[in-house]
Amino acid sequence: MTGPDPRTTTALRRRAAAAIARSTVGERTLAVVVGLLLLAGGCLVALLCYGVFGTGRASRPLLDPMIVDALRTQPLVARFAAIVGGLLLAVLGLVWAAHALRPERRPDLVIDPGGPDGGPDTSIVVSAAAAAEAVAAQAAALPGVGRARARLVGTEAAPAMRVTLWLADDADVRDVLARLDAEVLATARASLGLADLPAAVRLELDHPQPGPRVA
Amino acid sequence: MRVLLRVLAPLLGLAVALVGVLVLLEVVAASVRPDDGDGLVVPWPEWYAALARTAWTDAPVPGIAIGTAVLGLLLVLVGLLARRHDIAVDGPAPEITVTTSPRMLARLVGRRVRAADDVAAASVTASRRRVWVAAQAWNDAGPELADGVRARVENLLDEIPLHHRPRVTVTVQDRKGPR
Repeated sequence: MTGPDPRTTTALRRRAAAAIARSTVGERTLAVVVGLLLLAGGCLVALLCYGVFGTGRASRPLLDPMIVDALRTQPLVARFAAIVGGLLLAVLGLVWAAHALRPERRPDLVIDPGGPDGGPDTSIVVSAAAAAEAVAAQAAALPGVGRARARLVGTEAAPAMRVTLWLADDADVRDVLARLDAEVLATARASLGLADLPAAVRLELDHPQPGPRVA
Repeated sequence: MRVLLRVLAPLLGLAVALVGVLVLLEVVAASVRPDDGDGLVVPWPEWYAALARTAWTDAPVPGIAIGTAVLGLLLVLVGLLARRHDIAVDGPAPEITVTTSPRMLARLVGRRVRAADDVAAASVTASRRRVWVAAQAWNDAGPELADGVRARVENLLDEIPLHHRPRVTVTVQDRKGPR
């Protein structure tokens, strides 16, 4: 018997790592790019103000008549450039805002369309919430786990499970993880008809329930 | 930081879009009604006159430039620092990624350290690379307490399959006052 294909393993590992949390790469890039632009612009203007590029340049007005005259000789080009620039800013800004506000995908799973139980027109759809709830309920029943929450993330073609486990004080972490894989996730894979279901598990510590103050 | 980024990102996008829409509106309005001197939304003729009067050296300009640069620096810092500070735990299979938070590790270590009789109080800070334990000992505690606390923490770290084992630093202080 040969081992698993290393490329498949790498892809699964990547899907599991991507399921840890919603990616903020886009937002971070946007913040860094806008920040760098503001930083560069601010620094250049400050240097200009303090006469680094020459005192003659610094004492000219902000709206330099030279530049205004240059724009006036080409009114059509200036107007076209302004329209294109405005359009670009509006579209980019809206796309960024929509991207940042869009809720995370929760893929519903289609089980075995046209399987033995149904005709070719039948397909069974398991909603993301139902699949996640089943996994969470099973995970919460594991010994050492106080509470559990699960969420199905990714795409329909490549779903992944995000599981948060709140462990009890005396939990054996290795045992909990092994049982989560062997019992909970294996059951989920089998019942959802998936060859593989990468998972990102988050471990937290459960708050102990306060006992009665009067015995 | 991540929460700040989550709030800032859509606001930044909307601000950029708003600037674009205003530019479009004003340019189109100015080309449709070239004789109307006033702007549609933005009073740009007044701005135009003010900008033509103000020189680069005049009072508010350097201040605004420095303020803009500082704002840019803050944005860059938010973008760079909004990383996740997860601690990786070895999973039972390659397709299972397990993480935990530094806070969870610190709480686990703290509970284990405080459970001992010879420790009066303890504060714990944990990160991916290091666990700091500052324990307060009762007056009658011997010098071997630090080693005892360290051994307890190392035992705990043996039980959790952390991907990188953090280094443990223990400091012990005497607690003043009766037990």
